[in-house]
Formats: sequence, structure tokens, C-alpha cells
Amino acid sequence: MNAVESTETLNAALVASATEHRDPDWLVAQRTAALAQIEQLRVPKFHRFTYRDWNLLDHRLLWQASDPTLAAGITQASDHGQIIQVGQTTVAVNLPQALRDQGVILTDLFTALTQYPELTKPYLNQIIPATEDKLAAYHVAYLNGGLFLYVPQNVVVDDPIEAHIVQDSTQDGPQVSHVLIVADQGSQVAFTQHLTTQGTRANLVNNVVEIVANDNSRVKFASVDELGRDTLTYFNRRALVKHNAEVDWAVGLMNLGDTLGQFDTNLVGEGAQTETKVVAITSQDQREGINTRITNRGKHTVGNILQRGVLLGTSELVFNGIGDIIHGASGANAEQENRLLMMTPGTHGDANPILLIDENDVIAGHAASVGQVDQSQLYYLMSRGIDRKTAERLVIRGFLSTVLSAIPSKNVQQQLIKTIERNLQNG
Amino acid sequence: MSTLEIKDLHVEVSDEESQKTKEILKGVNLTMSTGEIHAIMGPNGTGKSTLSQTIMGQPAYHVTQGDILLDGESILDMPVDERARRGLFLAMQYPAEIQGVTNAEFLRAAINARRADDDQISVMAFLKELDKNLALLDMNESMTERYLNEGFSGGEKKRNEILQLLMIKPKFALLDEIDSGLDIDALKVVSKGVNSMRGDNFGSLIITHYQRLLNYIVPDVVHVMMGGKIVKTGDADLAKTLEKEGYAGLRDDLGIDVALVDED
Repeated sequence: MNAVESTETLNAALVASATEHRDPDWLVAQRTAALAQIEQLRVPKFHRFTYRDWNLLDHRLLWQASDPTLAAGITQASDHGQIIQVGQTTVAVNLPQALRDQGVILTDLFTALTQYPELTKPYLNQIIPATEDKLAAYHVAYLNGGLFLYVPQNVVVDDPIEAHIVQDSTQDGPQVSHVLIVADQGSQVAFTQHLTTQGTRANLVNNVVEIVANDNSRVKFASVDELGRDTLTYFNRRALVKHNAEVDWAVGLMNLGDTLGQFDTNLVGEGAQTETKVVAITSQDQREGINTRITNRGKHTVGNILQRGVLLGTSELVFNGIGDIIHGASGANAEQENRLLMMTPGTHGDANPILLIDENDVIAGHAASVGQVDQSQLYYLMSRGIDRKTAERLVIRGFLSTVLSAIPSKNVQQQLIKTIERNLQNG
Repeated sequence: MSTLEIKDLHVEVSDEESQKTKEILKGVNLTMSTGEIHAIMGPNGTGKSTLSQTIMGQPAYHVTQGDILLDGESILDMPVDERARRGLFLAMQYPAEIQGVTNAEFLRAAINARRADDDQISVMAFLKELDKNLALLDMNESMTERYLNEGFSGGEKKRNEILQLLMIKPKFALLDEIDSGLDIDALKVVSKGVNSMRGDNFGSLIITHYQRLLNYIVPDVVHVMMGGKIVKTGDADLAKTLEKEGYAGLRDDLGIDVALVDED
């Protein structure tokens, strides 16, 4: 089978599947256009991290129902917004009436595309266009799940909206999911997501988050990524931040499988801001590469990156912090700090600050370190009778704590603390 | 009653830069029991801190000869944490700062490390004990929710060391220059804390430059260290004599051939 035939075959299968699913025509058109480009486009570049042997493309658009009892362990909420999904099956959407009355929308993605095209079509796959790279194109072509959150103008959502997204690996098939968040002018919302895996099939996850923060809005995004050892993950999370708006990220990367991830905050409006905080633990023979980028495009924009990682076993973890200040972004401020702690001799860690500055009137700074646990801290804790393993756990938890306080939900904070403890014990 | 015996202890440290080793302790002998407070005085650079760190098990210090016995059993092969659980405590001159771990959480972990898994201290019992000791040391309750020593002033760190001492209740406490950097009020508070521990089940080895601390914590025995050895032992009056006459006077009286760091 030659390449042309193969693309034609794939295209026919894709269109058939999307049509069967009753996707809107514009989405089918996006899918086929994206598929046509996958071949030519390059994979995204991760400085000092190679993943050539990873198969991040699974050319199947499958519609699969999942067993809702896989989410049985998740407590349903009634006092704050919550969505629970297992694979492509939405198990519950709980949104207080007061928020509904104000026009807040929380629903699964495909429902949103048909019910609210005017709110979704202008944004879906526009913040991260399919033309950008091979994996972005793959995402658009094979999108099969996700959710949509909309907060209307000047609406302030007090309690964090929680999403529990369970990857169903009791069956074969990729999870190509998309979180689309649109915060209209002057609105405020905190969104937290918890990603987990049920089952042990070797599956691919391609997970995209697009956030649109319109003028004067504030979005806090928090995530605990806790996907299973048999899951190969690619994610791309990006925010478009307009005039005087702010998007803050607080993310705990606790996946057990190989992971490739990108955070990107595009500060386009004057006075736009972001705090991007990421902590990660890698273990066993896991490999993880993370690009965290902030682009200062508007005047007086402020972007801070703080990344901390702990490496166990023979794992590899690369943090690239990319600060990109565009010409004309005068008065911009860009700081970043990337730190790695290597717990065992066989690990491989890299913390790379990359500054691309094309404007004179800016403040920019960076700090990076790769090292081992501070022996004087361990000695101090052990001199109080605490055994070495517990002492190490305390020091590591302290090292990772900077992101904990930035997580807007107490539940999610507790979840992350638990997950950190578990990963350190299993490491 | 418990005993701590130090027998003919020789200790060397290796300098990381020059890769050379240097002998600091050159045959220290000392025996103490619970119920007693001993003070070790001596000029700078004479090995006082080395002695306390070696007893605790700081890995940078290597015992080349002699032994340290706790209740007749050698502790030299025991790691730091085990020595602590056996009843040793070192109030450090430079306590480490640990971000993200609260004082209270750390104290509970330290107390529970000494107890069986099915006999961990209850939250109520812990808080009651904590409140009592905070009041004794004139410490603000907010200290317990702060991260361990992070951003603490010198005086706060010293008080926090004594708070740990009161909470952990060791058999033997080694206090390494607990008075340095303290004003007179803080010194009184710290002394009050240590004195509250005095009794048949507690012994302390207090390391200090100055006699001043010993006005508040009156020792049963005073040892003078010079050149890596204990050169004289006496009662509380020995400290007062030293304060008057200085270390050089004692050195010359004893005919010891060591240079004092601060001597011109």
C-alpha cells in the first residue's frame, strides 16, 4: 500500500466514523484538513529530549461506551460545579442552579459543539491550530471526547469547577480529549481536573486544553495528572490571555507512563499575566519531557514559570522553560525557575531555561538547578529519630510544596499530596 | 538510670577541597548519667562541636579509635536516626531549614518515630503537650504552622530547638552553643526550658564558650577541652574560675602545648 492510498483509506474511515457520530460539518472539515497535513508536519521540538521511538499516532476514530462504575470511587458534588467522565461517557454533570441561571455552561464537548456552536466554533482548535505540528494535527483529526466550560461576562464563579476524567484502559483505543474553557470579559473561574486511568491496556492519550481569557478575566487552572503506567501521554495546554486578564496554572504531573507535555501561555493583551507552576515526579524507567512556554506579546505583561521535579529509579525528566518576549512588549516581566532533585544515581535530569528576548525594555531572569537531596536537611530530620525514607519524603514534599498552595481547591490539594506520597513510595 | 560513656575517642574529619584528613579529637574520655548536667567549655577550634556531632552520628566525622557506649552498648555502627530513637538529642548550632514541612507536622513525625505503629500519639494529646511547651518557652502558637526553621531568626531557631527537646524528651540532650546569638531574655527562656527537663531520667551535655549560660543552667560537672582532649574536670566553680582567668591561664597552669585560635 503506498502513501497516497493509505491517506485515502484513512480519510474515508475518518469521514465515515465522524459522520456516523453526527459531528457538525465544520468539524468534519477540520478533521479531514488536519489529517491531510499530518504526514508533512513535523513533531514538536523538545530541547534535549528525544522521543523518536514513541508512537504518538493511533489512526482510529472509535466511538466506545465505557462502564460508568469505573468512576464509582468519585464522590458526586451538589454544591459546586462538577463533571465526571469515563472515556467518552459522561457519567455526571452537576452544576448548581445559581450558576446555570447566570449562564455558566458546563457540558461534554460534543454536546457543546451542537448546542452552542456560536460559543465553541470560534475557539475550538484555534488556540492550538492543526497546522502547528504533527501532534496538533493528529488531535484535530481524531478528537473523540472532552468538555466545555463557559463563563459569561462579569460572572464570578466562587467555588472551583471540578472535572474528573477517567481514561478507560479496560478496552483498547486512544483517548483524544479536549478541554475548552472560555472566560468572557471580567469573569472569574477556577477549574480543576483530575486525570486517572482504569485498566491496564497499552493506550495513547492525546490531551489538549485551550483556554480563552477575554479582557479583565481571571482563570485558575489546576490539574493532577495521574495516568497509568501503560498509558503513553501527549498533552498540550495553552491559554490566550487578553487585555488585563490573568491565567494561572498549577499542575502536578504524576503520570506513571511516558509523557510528553507542553504548557504555553500567550500574553497577547496589555497587562496580561500568568503564574505557571508545575511539579513532577518520575519513577522507574519512565521518560518525561516538558516544554513550558510563556510568550510576552503585550506591553507590561508579566509571566512567571516555576517548575520542580523529583526523579526516582532510572527515570528521565527534562524541564524546558521558554520565555519568549516579542519585539514591542515593552515593560514586560519574565521570570523562571526550574529545579530538579535526583534521588538515585541512575536518573537523568535536565533543567533548561531558554530566553528569547527581542525587546530592550524588559525585566527577565532565570534560575535552574539539578542536584541531590540536601544532606544537611536529611541529617537534621534523622537526628530527631525520623528514618531516612520518611526524612527523604518530607524533604521532597517540601521541595514540591510551592505548587500545592497555588491549587485553588482543598480537595485537589489533598489529592495531589496523596498522589505524591504514593508515587514516592512506589518509586 | 542511663549512662553515656565516651572512651578514648579519636575523631578525624576530611576536608573536601584538599582531600586531607585532620584529627580533631585525640582521646576524649567522659562518662555521664541521667540526672546529671555536664558542661564542656573550651576555646574556639578545640573540638567541642566535633564531639557533639560525633556522638549524634554526623557522617562527616570518622571515629578512628575508641568507642561511644549508651547503656553499655556501642552506638558507633548505628545510623543517626537510630541513635536518636535510643534517646540522644542534639540541639544544633545551625539547624537546617525545610520548606513545605510545618513545625507541628515535623514534631509529630519525630514523636511518632519513637512509638509503635499501633500506638501513635493522638492529636489531642499532641496539641496539649505542644501548648504547654509553647507557653513555657514564651513562643507564639503561629510558630507551629510555619515551615520548619524557614525564615526563623537566630533566636527563634534556638527556641525551636528547645521546643523539640521538650516534645521529644530524650535521655541525653547535647546542646551545642545553644546560647550563641541570644539576648539575655531569650537566654533565660531557653534555660527555663532546659531546667524543666531536669530530673532522674534526663541528662545533658552543654557546650558553651561562655560561663554566662551556666548561671542559668547550673551544671553538676564542668569539663574543659583543649587540643582535642578533656584537660580538666571540676564542679560549677571551675567555670567561674575560667571566666576570670581565661583559657590561656589554665593552659599555662597545666603546661599544655596548644595554640589558642584567638591568641595573638
